[in-house]
Amino acid sequence: MSNSVNISVETTCENQIREIAYDGTELYQPPPTLSESLAKCAARIDFSKTSLEDLKKEEKSAAAAEEDAKDANIFQESLWPWDAVRNKLKDAYTEICVLSDVISIAKDKRYLVLDPLLEDSDDTKPIVQVYTRKKAISQAAQVLLSGAERLRNAHSELRNPNVKDFHIELLRLRQNWRLKKVSNGAIIGDLSYRTAGSKFGMSGTFEVAKAEDVLDEETTTSNANSSGGNTPNTQISTNNGIQPNGSSSLRVIVPAELQGVAYIKVITQKDQEDLCTAQVNLMGHGPNITAQVGVWQKTLEFAQNVLFCKELFAQLAREAIQLQAPIPHVVIGNQIRATLLPNIQLIISLCHSTSFDSNQPAPINDHDHVLEHSLHQLLREVHYKNSHHPFPHPASAPLGPSKKRMIAGPTAADRDSLLEMTKTQTILEQIIAQAQHIFMRKRTQYVLDTLARDVKDPQIVSHWNAMNSPTMSCVKINIVTHGYDAFGRTSLVIHVKERSLKCICRDGRVMRLSYEPQELRDLILCQINSHQISCLVSLARCMAWTVLSNSNHLGIGKVEPLGNASSCLLASPNSDRMIAVQIRCDPQIDVKVYIARSPRQDFFPTPLVPEKFWENLGGNFKEVRFDKIEGKSFLNKMEFLMASLTSNTA
Amino acid sequence: MAISSARESLSHALNNRFLPNLEYLLQGSILDSAVEHLMHRLKGLCDNVDTSPETFHDLEVCMSLRQPNTNQPLMLRVRRALGRDAPFQMRYLGQPEVDQRRPTLVRSCMDCACTNGILDFLTEMGFRLEFEYIAKGYMFRKGRMKITVSKLIKIVPGKQDMANEPISQSYIVELSVVAPTGQENVGEEMRVFAEQLKPLVQLEKIDYKRLGNIP
Repeated sequence: MSNSVNISVETTCENQIREIAYDGTELYQPPPTLSESLAKCAARIDFSKTSLEDLKKEEKSAAAAEEDAKDANIFQESLWPWDAVRNKLKDAYTEICVLSDVISIAKDKRYLVLDPLLEDSDDTKPIVQVYTRKKAISQAAQVLLSGAERLRNAHSELRNPNVKDFHIELLRLRQNWRLKKVSNGAIIGDLSYRTAGSKFGMSGTFEVAKAEDVLDEETTTSNANSSGGNTPNTQISTNNGIQPNGSSSLRVIVPAELQGVAYIKVITQKDQEDLCTAQVNLMGHGPNITAQVGVWQKTLEFAQNVLFCKELFAQLAREAIQLQAPIPHVVIGNQIRATLLPNIQLIISLCHSTSFDSNQPAPINDHDHVLEHSLHQLLREVHYKNSHHPFPHPASAPLGPSKKRMIAGPTAADRDSLLEMTKTQTILEQIIAQAQHIFMRKRTQYVLDTLARDVKDPQIVSHWNAMNSPTMSCVKINIVTHGYDAFGRTSLVIHVKERSLKCICRDGRVMRLSYEPQELRDLILCQINSHQISCLVSLARCMAWTVLSNSNHLGIGKVEPLGNASSCLLASPNSDRMIAVQIRCDPQIDVKVYIARSPRQDFFPTPLVPEKFWENLGGNFKEVRFDKIEGKSFLNKMEFLMASLTSNTA
Repeated sequence: MAISSARESLSHALNNRFLPNLEYLLQGSILDSAVEHLMHRLKGLCDNVDTSPETFHDLEVCMSLRQPNTNQPLMLRVRRALGRDAPFQMRYLGQPEVDQRRPTLVRSCMDCACTNGILDFLTEMGFRLEFEYIAKGYMFRKGRMKITVSKLIKIVPGKQDMANEPISQSYIVELSVVAPTGQENVGEEMRVFAEQLKPLVQLEKIDYKRLGNIP
């Protein structure tokens, strides 16, 4: 203990240094009194934390909070030390008052009803969370994958020059066809004639798609099928679809009922037997379209044609049923039969073939292209009339009535003419009329040609007017004798109509003939008769012979209504010879010539005729063997005959 | 069904609502300088404009008859197409009703085609000339809508046609449909069409009463 060292122990400065003087002495704050420390502690109570747990947490973070509390202390020291406590208590009191008010109101149930809150059923099971996350992730993955797919496609298109012009082709398609984009991104086109005035109900929509390789195609079609396309008729299987060749990057999908080739076949048939042969060739006829397949323009044109033919046939069939014909029209399947004239039938059939086989049967010979064209033209006219109404003049006049209808009021049209305005000829009626006319024209041509061939003597020359309407044509017939044109020319005009002929002769007679060819034949023969006689009369005058009598209608023979045998009686210049001519025309032209001489050179008196002057009475006609007389024609022979008889007397 | 008299058939037509007697009208105007654009627009929108647009040149004469009991005179408009062989058109227009709920102006309207003696006939009846003008322009149609773009030309009385001059430097554009009663969708159809002409011409229903005495 001897070398023990004194250690001074000083307590740490407990009190805060208030001030340090210049000499280094530190002035301490006096330690707080009991009341001061109580106030300090009271100020540190956080009244907002009330529950026990909160207090425990508070203790943990007490060290951190102490610094802040000190600052607050310093700040509040200037005020009355219990001020903060009082404020807090006052706040608590206010809250208690409010709470008691609320409870009293709630208990009263007059102003406020308290309902228990629905328990938030947010019990998230882990398995559900896993599923939702999985779904979200897979959706995101799909977005990424489709984006990548599109990029890859675009990239491969850039590399492949054949495929990249899809949009160019789409532009070209857009220039010629009506297209629109529908909500699900598909492009739908319309090839119907509705904008051109058609009122046909069948839809003509087609779908435009990008041509891809076969695998992709199948997937896209299956996708389209599963998504349930907007229009059912655009949904077709790829087997039915027209597969493009590689050259085109655009593909049009035409509904199944518009695929293939269609046309309207028009046949006029004379006898029942012909019907069978025509029906055999119904299917599979048409141009070979395999070469054109793949070019969408062709595909669409064909489809549009199919639609048009269907509309035309539907219209005709409807009219055929509605029309009240004496012999009813027959509609069987895709065939309409109408009777034109007795034993002559018009058959209109719709031929629609979807097979693309190249082995076509031989083309049908009796298919009438003119009538088919007329049918198309007629339907187009209907379309045109549907969409092109005349504009009214003056401009305030109502839109719609035709020009004829507009003047009906001011011109005081009667009921009949108004009713006449409402009548329109249906397409079927018009086509039947045209077919009848064509048939009548052919028949007239045939009759005239055979007559011109058979009858050599007066020549029959027929001039057909080149300009004619579909139901009316006109022929002028000249009958002349070769070498004697100056003596006479018989001409007549025949108007060929639908079921009748109208003949206008030179003398102004008008005759109406029916469709029977025999009537025309008889008429022409009678005209030949009268031609011969009239020419003979002028020839006789020319040769100084006297025409004693002539008659165009002797009243004998069969062809009564139009004229019949004609005759002529001629006398020589000094009246000692006579020629009698009779021309009959049933059924062939038959010429008979008789001559008589008075007085006879040799006269022998008999008890009955005692004197020679009785011979001047004439009579005793003798028939000349006319076919033996020299000369090319009837007039030529007659000229010879007259000349020889005249010279004999001289 | 047989209809005996004209009066009966008229009432029959009215009752069955196939007599077009209501005119739905929208009007607007466009300056001469911009009318070409409007014509192009109409060519694109209307039916059958593959040919050049239909022109018209009409003279409209409005005749009025003072009636003893009412202060509103009875007005009849007679319109004649100049240089064209078409009957005169006489037109009666009722009071326009500008209903806020309807998109167009609606007025009753009767049209009748007449012979050229109608003006003399009306004068004999006591009608007096109210005003006359020449309308010249173009006509389009879209469905049952009629669109006229016309220039109104003043007629100087006592002078020849040479002295006539346009009333203003703009064209009047009218969109009208004459339909039987009870076809309310006409107005909507017209409103949609008028929308399509919007930046060029503002087609509106014009309240004549607010314009005062201007015909």
